[in-house]
Amino acid sequence: MLVLLAGIFLLHLTSIILLLVATIDNAWWMTKTMSTDVWARWILTNGTWSSNDLPSYYPQEYLQAVQASSILACIFSSLGLFVFVGQLFTLSKGQRFTFSGIFQLIACLCIMIAASIYTDIFHKKELDGWYGHSFILAWISFAFTFISSIIYFVLRKKTAN
Amino acid sequence: MLTILALASVILLGIVPQQSEGIVIYTGWERHALVGSDIRLSCSFFSWRWTSDDVTFSWSYRSDGARDAISIFHYTGGAPYVDNKGPFRDRLEFVGNPGRRDGSILLKNLDYGDNGTFTCDAKNPPDIVGRASSVRLLVFEKVPIQAGVITGSIIGAVLGLLLLIVVIYYFMRFLVARRVFNLSVSKHGKKGKGKEGSQQRQGPTLSIGDPSKLKAAASEKKKQESRKDKK
Repeated sequence: MLVLLAGIFLLHLTSIILLLVATIDNAWWMTKTMSTDVWARWILTNGTWSSNDLPSYYPQEYLQAVQASSILACIFSSLGLFVFVGQLFTLSKGQRFTFSGIFQLIACLCIMIAASIYTDIFHKKELDGWYGHSFILAWISFAFTFISSIIYFVLRKKTAN
Repeated sequence: MLTILALASVILLGIVPQQSEGIVIYTGWERHALVGSDIRLSCSFFSWRWTSDDVTFSWSYRSDGARDAISIFHYTGGAPYVDNKGPFRDRLEFVGNPGRRDGSILLKNLDYGDNGTFTCDAKNPPDIVGRASSVRLLVFEKVPIQAGVITGSIIGAVLGLLLLIVVIYYFMRFLVARRVFNLSVSKHGKKGKGKEGSQQRQGPTLSIGDPSKLKAAASEKKKQESRKDKK
C-alpha cells in the first residue's frame, strides 16, 4: 500500500517537474543556431548564446495564450499535489481522491491547450528546424497528468487514519 | 545642553535643504500613439522652492534619424511660445498650467515622421540645477498589445473562477449543514408539545432529507463491513 502511494506521489511530482521544465526552458523550436520558445529566443553567434526578444510577427494573442495556459498547468498541478497530501489525511475510508484528480485533469487540459495552440499556429512554414525538448516534455506531461488524474479518480482510501 | 541641541538642529536644518536643492523633472518614459491621433506629453517638476513667477518650460525634439535636437516650445515670462517654423507648426498647443508646475504640450495629427525623443527642461529660479527628462514617442498604425496583458488576464480569470467555485462549494456545504442542524434542533425542541403534530408538519422536509441520508449511512456501513470481511 505504501509502495503504491509512493509511486503515485512520484508520478505527480514527475509531472510537475516536466511541466515546469516545458514552461520555463526556451526550447519549443530549435534550429542549429537558435532555440526559441514562448518567452525569448536564444541565438548562437560566434560561439556564444545570446538572449533576444521574440520576433514581432508572432501573433501576440496566441503566444500569450500559450504562455498563460502552460503557467496555469504548472499552478494546477502543484496545487493538486498539496490537495493530494491534504486528502491523504482528511479523507475517510473508502472515499476517492476526487479533488486531486480534478486538479490534475485541469492541468492536463491546460497543457494540452498550450501545446495544441503552439503546434497549430507557430512554425508551420519553417522547414529547417525541429521541435525542441520543451515541446516534447509538454506532450509527455500531458500524458502523465492524464494517467495521474485517472488513477486519482479510481483510487480509494484503504486505511483509516 | 539645550543650547547645544538648538545649535545642532539649526545646523542640520541649514545643511539638509542645500543638499536636496535641485529641480527634478518628470515626464513619461515612452508613449505609444496611433497615426492621426493626438497625444498629450506631460512634464512636471519637483522643487523645494515655491513656484516662482519666472518659471520656464522648454521642449525640444530629436527625430529618430537626426543627430541634433531642435527646440519646439518655450514658456517664459508668463507666455507660451509654440513652434511656428519647424515640423510641428500649427500642430502644437500648450495645455499646461505653470502655476501648478505642469508644462504639458498637446501634439495633434501625428505622423510616422514624429517618431523620436521629446525632452522637457524646466527651471524654477533660483532652483535651476537639474537634469532634463526625455520621453520617447512611438507612432503605430495599430497599437500593439503589451506583452503579458493577455497572459495575466487569462491566469487571473481562471484562478479567480477556481476561488469562486471553492467558496461557493464551502458555502453550500455550510448552508446544508445549517439546515440539518436547524431541523434536528427543532425536532428535539418540539417533542414536549406533541409528537404527532410536529411530525406531521415536519414530515415532508424530513422525508426528503432522511431517505438519502439513511441510504448513505447504510452504504457506508456496508462498505466498512465488506472491508472488515476482506481483512
